[in-house]
Amino acid sequence: MLTRRMLTMFAVVALLCATPQAQVATQGQAGQMQPPSSKGVVIKGKAPVSNDLLKIALPRPHEADLPNGLHLMVFEDHRAPLVQMQLQIRGAGGYYDPADLPGIATVTAAMMVEGTTTRNTRQIAQEQETMASMVSLGTSLGSQAASMSVYSLADNFDKTLDLAADILLNPVFPDEELSRYKTRQRASIMQARSNPSFLAQERFSRVIYGNHPASRVMLSPEGLDRVTRDALVAFHKAHYVPDEAIIAVVGDITVAEARKKVEAKFGGWKRSGVPVPPVQDPPPVGPAKIYLVDRANSVQTSLIVGAAGINRMNAEYEAMSLMNTVIGGGPTGRLFLNLREEKGWTYGAYSGLSALRYRGHWSASTEIRGDVTEGAVAEILNEINRLRTERIADKEFADKKRSMVASFALSLEAPMSIMSNYITSRIYNFPADYWDKYPQRMAAITQDQVQADAKKYLDAGGIQIVAVGDAKKIVDVLKKFGTVEVYDTEGKIKGTN
Amino acid sequence: MKRPLTRGALWTGCIVALVAGVTIGAATPPKVQFTDTRLKNGLRVLISEDHTAPVFSIGIVYNVGSRNERKGRTGFAHLFEHMMFKGSQNVGSGEHFTLVYNNGGDMNGGTSQDSTMYYEMMPANQLDLALFLEADRMRALDINKANLDNQIGTVSEERKQGVDNQPYGRTFELVPELAYTNFAYKHSVIGSLDDLRAATVDDVAAFFRTYYAPNNAALAIVGDVRTADCLAKVRQYFESIPQQAPPSEVDMTEPAQTAEKRQTIDDPLAKLTRLDVVYHIPQGLTADSDALSMLGSVLSSGRSSRFYDNIVRLKQLSQSVSAYAGQNRGPSLFRVGGTVMPGKSVADLEKAIYEEIEKVKGGPIEAWEIEKTRNAALRGFVGTMTSSLSRAISLSQYAVFYNDPGLINTRYQRLSSITAADVQRVAKQYLTPENRTVVITNPKPPAPTNPTAEQKGGR
Repeated sequence: MLTRRMLTMFAVVALLCATPQAQVATQGQAGQMQPPSSKGVVIKGKAPVSNDLLKIALPRPHEADLPNGLHLMVFEDHRAPLVQMQLQIRGAGGYYDPADLPGIATVTAAMMVEGTTTRNTRQIAQEQETMASMVSLGTSLGSQAASMSVYSLADNFDKTLDLAADILLNPVFPDEELSRYKTRQRASIMQARSNPSFLAQERFSRVIYGNHPASRVMLSPEGLDRVTRDALVAFHKAHYVPDEAIIAVVGDITVAEARKKVEAKFGGWKRSGVPVPPVQDPPPVGPAKIYLVDRANSVQTSLIVGAAGINRMNAEYEAMSLMNTVIGGGPTGRLFLNLREEKGWTYGAYSGLSALRYRGHWSASTEIRGDVTEGAVAEILNEINRLRTERIADKEFADKKRSMVASFALSLEAPMSIMSNYITSRIYNFPADYWDKYPQRMAAITQDQVQADAKKYLDAGGIQIVAVGDAKKIVDVLKKFGTVEVYDTEGKIKGTN
Repeated sequence: MKRPLTRGALWTGCIVALVAGVTIGAATPPKVQFTDTRLKNGLRVLISEDHTAPVFSIGIVYNVGSRNERKGRTGFAHLFEHMMFKGSQNVGSGEHFTLVYNNGGDMNGGTSQDSTMYYEMMPANQLDLALFLEADRMRALDINKANLDNQIGTVSEERKQGVDNQPYGRTFELVPELAYTNFAYKHSVIGSLDDLRAATVDDVAAFFRTYYAPNNAALAIVGDVRTADCLAKVRQYFESIPQQAPPSEVDMTEPAQTAEKRQTIDDPLAKLTRLDVVYHIPQGLTADSDALSMLGSVLSSGRSSRFYDNIVRLKQLSQSVSAYAGQNRGPSLFRVGGTVMPGKSVADLEKAIYEEIEKVKGGPIEAWEIEKTRNAALRGFVGTMTSSLSRAISLSQYAVFYNDPGLINTRYQRLSSITAADVQRVAKQYLTPENRTVVITNPKPPAPTNPTAEQKGGR
């Protein structure tokens, strides 16, 4: 799930970091504040907030295309003798698992560090760790891309890049290491099933994504059984190609050096000429229902409440992000103020918007003590209903827009996070000035627009509820909200109430 | 105020950095430059300029943690940390975080055994706001019953989310309970539900007076500020806060352990057996502690480590086994822990761990294993250069813990003098059977009538 910070690391040319102080100063105490968004918070208005306009210029990365299709993006950052590199290989992610080999992309990425034509797993580990470098690969089961992350002291970057290129281009997937990897993964799967948030996420993803690749949150033992060394070699050969890959370098290195080194190590990576297949949307979600995962001895209920959403190209993406910030984007969101600051029922309550190339979802989540399960579900549904039926107060709306735009200043300390924005632009073919115009687009969003989006995407008929807890204690109260399907912690259905 | 920052200012960081708080040479690691001032009321103020991004961070560390708690009041330092967001004389309940987030910032607080820390990270034009917010709650916290009850509820749920509803939650509390004799580190930071519920408004007020005094704290500001201007603002907001009598020192004395302690428990929420082994070791920032942290790295840092290669990869007794030397201000623990692979025995895992420890004592330690640890420390240090927040927290923490904020630049170098012989010496001295405490956690679900879960279920 995306956090508020991840959603708001956007580029801007000007940050309006201010509330007109008079406006704040007119707030007296809780009772006089604009209702009801001020639930759980008292504004005295005496703290000195700056009204100044903080102007920043947004850097753009240097970009270049290599003949094999690899797209290079570079930011220089000489504050510390470190270099980071991100390589995104579109087409090598879990989304592209063949139907008969679920999880193969995940296993491929994980197994690439377990041996190359010239280095065994031990040598790879020892070489990088002695330098305090990191070379790791991974993908998620719903992602289009696999990614390689490289991190190194500047002095060791050449040697680290050497190792990274070897891992990328020459993995051998030794049988012995594959069998060890499978054993460890099977234990991890067992372990995950003791974790309530994993169980909630697993069930929610099944509900929202049906049989789509994004419905999977972890490898399955059955999928692991089918993976063979030959299948890994074949997946690597077909999917680890530079045609649509992006390589981003950030750190204590010049643009010219970065280009020279990347060309030297990855210039010989052969393009396949086969375009990455387009993605399909997940199937429509069924009617609103309650899904209960029975976890005996739980002392809390873990809740996820959510609905099908939009994809990242959707014109309403930023309005939906703003809506998400209003209801659950951090400690100033309505859910946190209501469930924690006012009621003291939970340690936290947040929401997130997930939007990729295919249709995504919106969801709210919290862990609450078991005996307030009914109240918490009702309050979350009530907060969702308010988005549909109430116009967001002017001040609350302005505060949320400002928090989203102004927080961008903080990401200027972490150039890789700005780079991520440009990677997003590239992946989704956004215009070159997409980030420069972010503040203008945010300013143009209206309360009516957000309300219309809430009516459309958070319709009561599409809200799904997942609860993980001790069924004998909470099944009866959940029934008050609709039909309840009960599952065990292995993911098997136990019955419908 | 308009502050146009050009592309050049941001991205030719080296040039900017040389005139700012960070010096970078070609071959030598960077160094954090800072000023160190003590206000009339005893507040120590550390300021480090860095103009590479229009951002500053504040770290404030109070010299109080769960080690200062007494029996019957466990969890109090942490509960108090929550109360620091519930309002002060000029700031309403929740207004602190509302103003920080609404103006593009980030903030939080954290409580450990040894200290309580708060931070704000904000766009450069909000320095007055952040200083005002911290000063107002140091000066006059608004303590009332309704806010206290509300946060007792919140912290109770934080405890359940982090401990009572998690596999091995009980284990992580039992290990120090069993290992330590001295109460200071014996109990958990989050504390017990019963103690939390017993907290009163008077307790909160007394705690505030004793520990949240300017002379019991250090404040660091790092980032896009001008030192003289920043110090003037700090004086304006903080210097009139009265100082208090210093709190009494906590007796941290831990008697030497003379025989192994061992306990086995059942965990109804766990699915795999888990093994924890801890050893008493000296406090952080001592020569032995440094050698022990290198030992932790040799044993378990990364896939090249001995535990991973031999126990996880080859013997397949566990998915992962960790080992590290705790670096508390007082008597610390060297902690080893891992889950048992399904189908394997915990006895075999325990035996394999001891075999690896004996191999360190008797056999050679390779040069690359030493180099790995030193380079990791160097990388950790230079990494803080890219974050004003981590520098602010380090400076204030080193000032409070060791009266030496300069440790931010030198601590990583301490490992450069540690040798293989030192690692072997501390392994022989501290990783002995009589000095260890062993806890085994079995995933045995209790009978449905077991009262444990019911007790914790609700209030």
